[in-house]
Amino acid sequence: MPIYSFYIFDRHCECIYVKQWLERERNSLRPTTSSGASIINSPLSGAPDKRISAGTIADQSLRTAPGRLSVQDDAKLVFGVVFSLRNMVRKLSGPEDNFVSYRTGSYKLHYYETATNLKFVMLTDVKMSNLRVVLHQIYVNLYVEYVTKNPLSPVEHPGGEGVAVELFELGLDRFVQTIQEA
Amino acid sequence: MSSTKAARIGEEVWKTRIDKVNAELVTLTYGSIVAQLCKDYEGDYMEVNKQLDKMGYNIGLRLIEDFLAKTNTGRCINFRDTAETISKIGFKVFLNITPTVTNWATDNKQFSLVFEENPLADFVELPDDGRAQNELWYSNILCGVLRGALEMVQMQVDAHFTSDVLRGNETTEMRVSLIRIIDDELPPGDD
Repeated sequence: MPIYSFYIFDRHCECIYVKQWLERERNSLRPTTSSGASIINSPLSGAPDKRISAGTIADQSLRTAPGRLSVQDDAKLVFGVVFSLRNMVRKLSGPEDNFVSYRTGSYKLHYYETATNLKFVMLTDVKMSNLRVVLHQIYVNLYVEYVTKNPLSPVEHPGGEGVAVELFELGLDRFVQTIQEA
Repeated sequence: MSSTKAARIGEEVWKTRIDKVNAELVTLTYGSIVAQLCKDYEGDYMEVNKQLDKMGYNIGLRLIEDFLAKTNTGRCINFRDTAETISKIGFKVFLNITPTVTNWATDNKQFSLVFEENPLADFVELPDDGRAQNELWYSNILCGVLRGALEMVQMQVDAHFTSDVLRGNETTEMRVSLIRIIDDELPPGDD
């Protein structure tokens, strides 16, 4: 099942890592913009009007080729969504609660946050099962091992410095592959 | 989290998920660091304390991630919970000791950790120059570690030793006080 993209945000609200997969498949959707989109939407979302509006904006940006947002703008939007959603959830049901994922007609966003305010976000196919555990494993087995414990990596990662190291990238790619094949 | 539950988690994680190293290696490595600092700062023990605290702080900033990854504990509900977690899980998994949490201030914002054993200070005698006994906090790196680690989970604390058996005191005691809870940072405005 396809995984589209993966983001890490640090406690300073900065995006310190982005990885996007399946760029080619997305491109191939573009020429048939409207029909392609409706095919994806129709069987899965009975009520497209229920979509979260920010998600819709991001959706459109993926499909309409000329107006497509840059990777940085995508990341900003994703952060905006998870940040507001997280704060809203906490207001509604107490500071211990956190949202796990949300789904639109064409993608599913999975969310995991550590006690140190690191936020892990993954965008996948709508049919993907819950990836909270997977995000936790990425934190434990890849981020902590290869980024935090790397003595040459800085403690904070302004501009993503020190996160995109080879071991981390390799591990992430391999890990994502196993999920996609599962 | 109750204190027994914390103790159980600490024991469990220490047994199953921690790579162990020889304790004497740690003791001797730490000893040489302190000895070198004393040499470098020519016996300015105040400065040595400061440097140890700084080193600890930088360790703490990273160690907290390893701690969370290994123990998989969530956010503490209050400062008492934090104290239990530090003692029964934190010190347990990284140093295999569980300092006693005691002497709570009435506002629940200050407590003491009393160390019955301290692997950093095995075999140690402070220099006999008449000053080290009064000025050097030999294990000061631990204060920095706590300060750094707690800062990453939104707690600004002050930690310092108030007594040390190396100085001839009855006990080794560290005082930890909560200064404030750090608010979440907000994203920069879109301008």
